Amino acid sequence: MLKLTLRKAANAVALLLAVLVLNFTMIHLAPGDPVETLVGEMGGATPALIEDLRRSMGLDQPLYIQIGLYVGNVLRGDFGHSYYYDQPVLTLIGARIGPTLLLVTTALFAATMIGTVLGVFSAQRRSSWLSHLVTVLSLAGFSAPVFWVGIMLILVLSVAFPIFPISGMSDAVGTDGGLLYALDVAHHLALPALTLALIYLAFYSRLARASMLEVLGSDYVRTARAKGLPRRLVVYKHALRNAILPVVTFAGLQFGQVISGAVLVETVFAWPGLGTLAFDSILRRDTPTLLGILFFSALMVVVMNVLTDLLYRRIDPRIKIR
Amino acid sequence: MPEPLKPELLTSGPLLSVRDLEIVFRIDGQDVPVVRDLSFDIEAGETLGIVGESGCGKSITALSLLGLVPNPPGRVSKGQILLNGEDLTRAGEARLNAVRGNDISMVFQEPMTSLNPVYTIGEQIAETVRVHFGLSRAAAWDRAVEMLSQVGIPSPKTRAHDYPHQLSGGMRQRVMIAIALVCEPKILIADEPTTALDVTVQAQIFDLFQDLQERFGAAIILITHDIGVVAQMTDRVMVMYAGRKIEEGSVASFIRDPRHPYTRGLISCIPHLSLPPSDVPAPLFEIPGVVPSARELGASGCAFAPRCSHASGRCAAETPTLFPVGDGRSAACWLEVEAAR
Repeated sequence: MLKLTLRKAANAVALLLAVLVLNFTMIHLAPGDPVETLVGEMGGATPALIEDLRRSMGLDQPLYIQIGLYVGNVLRGDFGHSYYYDQPVLTLIGARIGPTLLLVTTALFAATMIGTVLGVFSAQRRSSWLSHLVTVLSLAGFSAPVFWVGIMLILVLSVAFPIFPISGMSDAVGTDGGLLYALDVAHHLALPALTLALIYLAFYSRLARASMLEVLGSDYVRTARAKGLPRRLVVYKHALRNAILPVVTFAGLQFGQVISGAVLVETVFAWPGLGTLAFDSILRRDTPTLLGILFFSALMVVVMNVLTDLLYRRIDPRIKIR
Repeated sequence: MPEPLKPELLTSGPLLSVRDLEIVFRIDGQDVPVVRDLSFDIEAGETLGIVGESGCGKSITALSLLGLVPNPPGRVSKGQILLNGEDLTRAGEARLNAVRGNDISMVFQEPMTSLNPVYTIGEQIAETVRVHFGLSRAAAWDRAVEMLSQVGIPSPKTRAHDYPHQLSGGMRQRVMIAIALVCEPKILIADEPTTALDVTVQAQIFDLFQDLQERFGAAIILITHDIGVVAQMTDRVMVMYAGRKIEEGSVASFIRDPRHPYTRGLISCIPHLSLPPSDVPAPLFEIPGVVPSARELGASGCAFAPRCSHASGRCAAETPTLFPVGDGRSAACWLEVEAAR
């Protein structure tokens, strides 16, 4: 087990280094010059000042030296300085990663849990109204763009029926970190999390339904019935544990996708997470910040994959340490 | 010898009696019968063989005894299944659950897929006794370990913690048998229990069946298409063709003097080993044609007539009913009726 963990950790580190280099190269190949953008926001500058800025940011060096310097800095825990905010990237990300993780994990958790429950119910009554509703919801959830769903939810649940706040993560009241604050954040979290969850809810209910249908028709479920087990044991003990495997796999794999989905949701709801920061950084050509965000997104995906792997081993004994 | 878990039931008449059973499948909005007019009895402790080609209705008949005909599309549309006089076709789900695995249990054809991959074999045996006898976890586990030893699994204490994928096919089938017998059922249905196993393992499994039948006294319904197995294992044989019983009798008469042309065909199909010096292998016999599907069957006429070399005009027009041919045997063939005249 220790050997396996070490090997997985080594793999993860190598993967993250590759991500660093690849991201850096791609961003520098993309059109747009951070110095020009900065100078534009400053209201113009002399060519000498521009040169100066370029040198101070290290942008006058050849690309491979820039990469080397950057990777070296990152290994020492220095993700550079934001061009725009004039703050260490790590500080910026540190303040934003919490809200994003909160949003993404809440949405994914809700989507997998509710999706599985819906899928399990509809698989047992294949032609009931619930089953058809799941199919319709799935199609709608799949096809609707996330920003549109977000705006519609705001229109209905914040404007027409003002139940939830329109945007932000908390009101000015009670920012002391106490229970009041937590409730306030939860109140603000509801709509963005619902928006993000809806797309994946559709996906997971369909996945769970298909998986459950397959498992319910399997030989070992027939064995369980032939043993005289009551229905609840057949469904929730024998079938569900097998049917949940694809859900776990996809939840792990989709974590990265959910983070990218969060970019749009955070923008629509002005949620102070990494998504809005990423969006702004792209517009501002704030390369160090963007690179930092990409790195931490990759890190979250890698960590999530490892966790999925461990969970998978808990559920299915056939997956052994290799 | 394990402690008996339930008192012996005093019964008069057959243990299980199937009367005029009809099972239909709903296909394209129509009820297509896959089993028709099926009646048979089984006495306590005896072994009944059900023989026939694939698709003749053997397995679905077995599932119907447990109320496990897949619905939709299938259902029992007529007849009675009487267990000690109680009609199981009218029993509710709760009552059926009390019967399943407890009074009647079943060993399936596919040991590789019939066990749940995510639970230990000990747990899969133990839960059955927990559900039926309300034993505690620890007591049920002990009982599971004991059952594993009864079915000949070495070091049962440690193997009980194994998952199905850690066992060979033969071992898994032993586990299935342990599950089936753990509640000491009155009837054990074995649906081609060795089809998926090696020949050498097959013999071991059948030895185990015979051994356990002596110890537990269960009646066995053995479904197979292996005539050799029938000869070795059963007391009585019932031959099915296209959803109907076409012949029934003692195993000796079935082998020596089959009456229905289909049964004769089945027995002729057994290949014989030819040894030197007559080392020219005899050609393999086959029954021409294939079993008609349930949808192709007409309302009347013998279903075997198109494949039968003795068929006459009457065979195509009228469905033969079972006709006693002496010795407590019966066959559904017009030839027998004609011969008796």
